[in-house]
Amino acid sequence: MCGAYKDTVDRRDVLRYTGAAVTTAGLASFAGCIGNGDDDDDTGDGEGGDIEMDSLTITQGEFPDVEDPNDHITGPYFNVYDHVYEPLFDVTPGEEPNPRVVESWDHGDDGTVELTIRDDVVFHQGQQLVAEDIAFTLERQIDPEVPPVSDQVAGLGSIEGAEAIDETTLELSYSGAPQLAEFEFGNYLRALSQEWYESDAPTVDGVISGDDEEAFNGTGPFQVVEYNPAQNRIVMEPFDDYWGEVPSINELIFEGETSDSGRVSSLLADETNLIDNVLPDDVGEVEASGDARIEQVTSFRNIFLPMKNEVEPFDSQEFRQAMNYAVDNQEIIDEVLSGFGEAMSQPVPPGINGYNPDLDPYPHDLEEAEALVEEAGYTEDDPAEITLTAPEGRYLNDADVGRRAADQIDQLPNVECDVDIVPFDVVSDAASAGPDDEEIPFFLIGWGVITGDADYGMVGFFHEDGGVQTFQDEELQSELEATQVEEDPDTREAMLQDVNELAREKAPWVFLHLQESIYGLDEDIQWDAREDESIYVWEMD
Amino acid sequence: MSLAKFLLRRFFQGIFVLWGVVTVMFGLRALSPGDPVNLIAGQVPDQATRDQIRQDLGLDQPMYVQYLDYLGDLLTGSLGYSYNQRRAVNDIVVQHFAATVELAVAATIVAIVIAIPLGVVSATRRNQPADYGATLGSLVGISTPNFWLGLMLILLLAEGAGLFPTSGRSVAFHEGVISLVTTGSPSDLLEWLRYIILPAVTLGTYFTALITRLTRSGMIDELGKPYVAATEAKGLPNVLIRYKHVLRNTLIPIVTVLGLQLGTLMGGAVITEEVFNWPGLGQMFITSLRNGDWPVVQGIVLFIAVAFVVINIFVDALYARLDPQVMDE
Repeated sequence: MCGAYKDTVDRRDVLRYTGAAVTTAGLASFAGCIGNGDDDDDTGDGEGGDIEMDSLTITQGEFPDVEDPNDHITGPYFNVYDHVYEPLFDVTPGEEPNPRVVESWDHGDDGTVELTIRDDVVFHQGQQLVAEDIAFTLERQIDPEVPPVSDQVAGLGSIEGAEAIDETTLELSYSGAPQLAEFEFGNYLRALSQEWYESDAPTVDGVISGDDEEAFNGTGPFQVVEYNPAQNRIVMEPFDDYWGEVPSINELIFEGETSDSGRVSSLLADETNLIDNVLPDDVGEVEASGDARIEQVTSFRNIFLPMKNEVEPFDSQEFRQAMNYAVDNQEIIDEVLSGFGEAMSQPVPPGINGYNPDLDPYPHDLEEAEALVEEAGYTEDDPAEITLTAPEGRYLNDADVGRRAADQIDQLPNVECDVDIVPFDVVSDAASAGPDDEEIPFFLIGWGVITGDADYGMVGFFHEDGGVQTFQDEELQSELEATQVEEDPDTREAMLQDVNELAREKAPWVFLHLQESIYGLDEDIQWDAREDESIYVWEMD
Repeated sequence: MSLAKFLLRRFFQGIFVLWGVVTVMFGLRALSPGDPVNLIAGQVPDQATRDQIRQDLGLDQPMYVQYLDYLGDLLTGSLGYSYNQRRAVNDIVVQHFAATVELAVAATIVAIVIAIPLGVVSATRRNQPADYGATLGSLVGISTPNFWLGLMLILLLAEGAGLFPTSGRSVAFHEGVISLVTTGSPSDLLEWLRYIILPAVTLGTYFTALITRLTRSGMIDELGKPYVAATEAKGLPNVLIRYKHVLRNTLIPIVTVLGLQLGTLMGGAVITEEVFNWPGLGQMFITSLRNGDWPVVQGIVLFIAVAFVVINIFVDALYARLDPQVMDE
């Protein structure tokens, strides 16, 4: 990184799209950690992985229902499509991007960054990758006038535009901190061929849509040879003209199976090699099988209970803190999630840029909680009456987590807490309804910190332009804004840590836990689960 | 009443039923929480964009206007546009319809193959162990929930014994047939068969039990009729009497039930498809319901309703031909 940055930044521009909603807020994929220059297991740029199998099948709970790689922001979709539409950078969560298709980049002094791309990258259908393709792809993502209206724009909040200088040089413009811009463009650039899109791609209303392999054309190490959306199945083979090392797997299959137990059955019956989202109750069965093993990691997905502070009784900081003291998040992890999870202490998880390692989770202290509720003005004779709204089927044991949390709060003599279990879209709408919406002011939701930067974990919920604001607080908002224009990465990280500390104190949420990612896979596959929920074949041995 | 008049009346009754289905579904959609714009715009907080989407989808119009627009679209054959999949609902329905029909027909065949011989044996060996066994089997079959049976079959026969795949469908029936015709190899068709056996048995169990009991009771009634005694007096062999005369007469009401049940099976396949990850309308219905993709939900329900009405009219016509008195009832 080099260069100086512009002195004045339009805060509104930065914030216009930064932040988010919830509808499809899976953790988006980060590019894999290959070729980062370290002497680790990685084999260098564009490698195809060391795993040698005739056929590898990966079964996820969700299967893409769109063929357009610039549509949706759902983790399992990226896991499939990143093998076809490869990321342009390698990103290790919480770190700056590393070269992949983009070989180098230099920041200018006017809120621009110049990217230089490889000159030997071709698409599966024969077109050469040029800078114009990437510019076209980026504009397609951020321009609301161009279909699809992609929620990926939420991860590109500070990126203003892109222009091709020549075939291998591209200039991106951004507003805000260069570090923030890097977290964003590092995660969201997966090139589409403009020539192919405009002449050959099957589209419906501008959105790529097809039911066979012709609907796919990326530059990744695998090309699609069979696609059957009705059967939730996509088959890929190595791309012989891949610029990096051609994969040694002859066939890569992704399948979708919504049933949790169904996925486990498929694994144990040797119909698939890797499954995601194994329920805690099924872990023992997988481990006892002898042929399969469990791979788990604490993910970047927070589960928490936002409290809208424009609605009583959540307008009281004492009351919000009391809710944190009342809920025993460790008990929820131990008893509802069978130990799979990690208690949250602040809005963002460890490993995210800006995480504050000095903060501890709120302790479980009913006496303190009762006293704080008393301070907030509620007594045993005149208790606070609240309802916790929780979704069912979106997160790991989400409804049970909600019930347990509500039950713990209800144990306070001066609070009466009911629970309402609803479909996820109800919760999603509640998140978008603003901090003064009285209909559902207290609910359970999950949030994946997609970009690896704390900004994405907080702006959406704590800023008036965030899209899912549940907490209105001038101090928190201005502190966040300051981090967005801070140019020095170290200073910015320290500022973000301070914001996390401030947020913990103000208690905009009941901090619950970080969700565990639990995978089942063949005993003989070596693979370390990633915190960002990405699954890359090139990281398997 | 003439058959034509009878069928015309049935047709208009069917149209009224479908209008009712459309209206109820639209009402449920209107009452359901969830903003479709969230499905499309997702994390785009820009209000102008969201408003544009709302306008493009016609969601900014009063509910009655949306309802009339929807009816208008239906009259032109359009079931709408999927918020989540970004494609016409017609395409989605067509894409998944074949799998559901495969499953419903396979379940029906399972039922016929098992139930009719069982019913005959049960009736002809009344109050004997075979009858008790068949009756008990029917009771168990009728009482067993589909989802539990499906999971047990997966656990025991697929995951445990490894005899069948646990879920999914690797090839469609028509692909298997095409492969057989073009290459002469039945391997794809056999593969399809491996995948469909467990879901077909799961879906067909209740139906099997029902047909067994119907066959048994029908056959017992029929065996008590004077013409049976007369044919026996003529010295005709028992086998000929039972299977040529008695069974044929018994099958008339069963054919009616078979027709009606085919529609029920299509609607009832939802749970079975979900358990076996069978890529039919039922599974798509559940997925769309979870996603709040109402146009697809409405389209699937309406499609199944149309199938029901058509099958009913067809069965009525068949029954009217067999028994003209039905037209006057």
